Amino acid sequence: MRGQTWHRLALVGAVLVFTLFIAMIGDLVWQSLGVLSWHFLWSPPSEMGHGGIGPELLNTLVMVGIAALISLPLGLAGAIFRVEYRGAPGFLKVFDRVRFTFLSLPTIVIGLLVYQWVVVELGWPLSIRSGIVALVVMNWPFVVNIGIEALSGVPDTSREASMALGATSSQTLMRIVFPSALPALIAGLGVSTARLLGESAALIFTAGINVAVHWSWSMPGETLAVHLWYLRTESLAPHANAEAAATGVVLLGLVALVLYLTQKIAHWLKPRDYSRKSA
Amino acid sequence: MDSKAPDLAVRHLSVRYGEQVALSDVSLDLEGGQVLALIGPSGCGKSTFLRVLNRLVDRSLEVRYEGEVVLGGIRILDPDTDLVALRRAVGMVFQQPSAFPFSVFDNVAYGPRLQGIRSSHRLRSIVESSLKKAALWDEVRGKLRRPAASLSGGQQQRLCIARALAVAPRVLLLDEPTAALDPLSTTKIEELILSLRGDYTLILVTHNLQQAARISDVTAFFRQGLLVEIAPTREMFTAPKCAETEEFLTGRYE
Repeated sequence: MRGQTWHRLALVGAVLVFTLFIAMIGDLVWQSLGVLSWHFLWSPPSEMGHGGIGPELLNTLVMVGIAALISLPLGLAGAIFRVEYRGAPGFLKVFDRVRFTFLSLPTIVIGLLVYQWVVVELGWPLSIRSGIVALVVMNWPFVVNIGIEALSGVPDTSREASMALGATSSQTLMRIVFPSALPALIAGLGVSTARLLGESAALIFTAGINVAVHWSWSMPGETLAVHLWYLRTESLAPHANAEAAATGVVLLGLVALVLYLTQKIAHWLKPRDYSRKSA
Repeated sequence: MDSKAPDLAVRHLSVRYGEQVALSDVSLDLEGGQVLALIGPSGCGKSTFLRVLNRLVDRSLEVRYEGEVVLGGIRILDPDTDLVALRRAVGMVFQQPSAFPFSVFDNVAYGPRLQGIRSSHRLRSIVESSLKKAALWDEVRGKLRRPAASLSGGQQQRLCIARALAVAPRVLLLDEPTAALDPLSTTKIEELILSLRGDYTLILVTHNLQQAARISDVTAFFRQGLLVEIAPTREMFTAPKCAETEEFLTGRYE
């Protein structure tokens, strides 16, 4: 009886949380209905009303896409170095400390650091390329972590079995370790990319809060998340709240799409496990 | 290497991991084609001995070794020994079946492909003959494209043996190959080892004393990094020379 009571309580809780979640999303969608349209997705923003998020959408896709592409090999290199080549222990300690520091830094501080390096020291403009640097710096330790987790998930006997068959360590890495770690890697990259999509703090003073009429690497590149922040704080546009809700819905859709696709691919790549797990 | 399975000669082999001594001053001889069983309590160095023979021991941190190990003309501990060639000559099977997450065929073809064999005809014949040698062919023919994980634990272990045989080694190292298997699968692996005897030099680590008695020609008893006694198996199990060996064999060892 007792067990059943707890079971019912948990069920009620689950239904409650689910309803709350649906209510929040539903409210957002409801608010956005007035402005959400193809026109909204394509046109540039306007303070006079009837603007859109076209450039923001493009900037988000370009910046997040390129930042993810750059941080992938950098992060993987870090993870491989950490897991597969257990080199100098002293250096690894420093490496780990730097990694954890960057991982726990608030992203606004990362934005500040990148601003100092790239905008002040190198004289780059507040631009798409500066924003990409900020995203890469932010994402790199995260990808290293994902890589370390994925590579450590490959049983060591697989590596030894491969080497015992006459494979070099790089052959073992390419032919055994990577294929085995790929599903976990892709699922993890989905999460890190979704995190980049929602980043605003680090981009406000590296990529700016404007969009250019003519797109260029060196022009300011406001992303969806930054635009959302802008709409709710600074904007004087007549339908700012509805536009913010619509931007939120689009951003949420992008995140959901990235997560869904990467999980799907990861699942599809995973070798089906038929083993009966006999002891 | 000639067609005869290679002899093994070990002289004053010592292995240390950092400060910890894993093996000290081990010397033994084994005639090619025989089955050598290594027995002893956990942590006695028998697995280390096995991993020296294909230099997998190099993967351990801060490992140092000295002495001389010659296997069919290969001086194993020489710093300039070609590890790839050594490991092709010396196959290894692990305690946990370590099938790769590929198909049955790709598992067995892994080693030959590493050697650059691309012809599908040759790969097929290598895979078939290796699976036959490992007594698995009848159970997996027609299922070669299935994932290796779909096989039972015992079949996976024989698959690992087939995979090791596919690179045409002359020596096979077996690290407790039946520890994770049921009695029926164990019997099959033991029969397999007996059928390979003569063509291959086999070195087997086992915690199962009956298994050592059943299938080995020579037994070596290790304790705390020392080789206590090595003798023909029948002699060792009927009349051990050392009191320590007798205590271990009769289960009176603390």
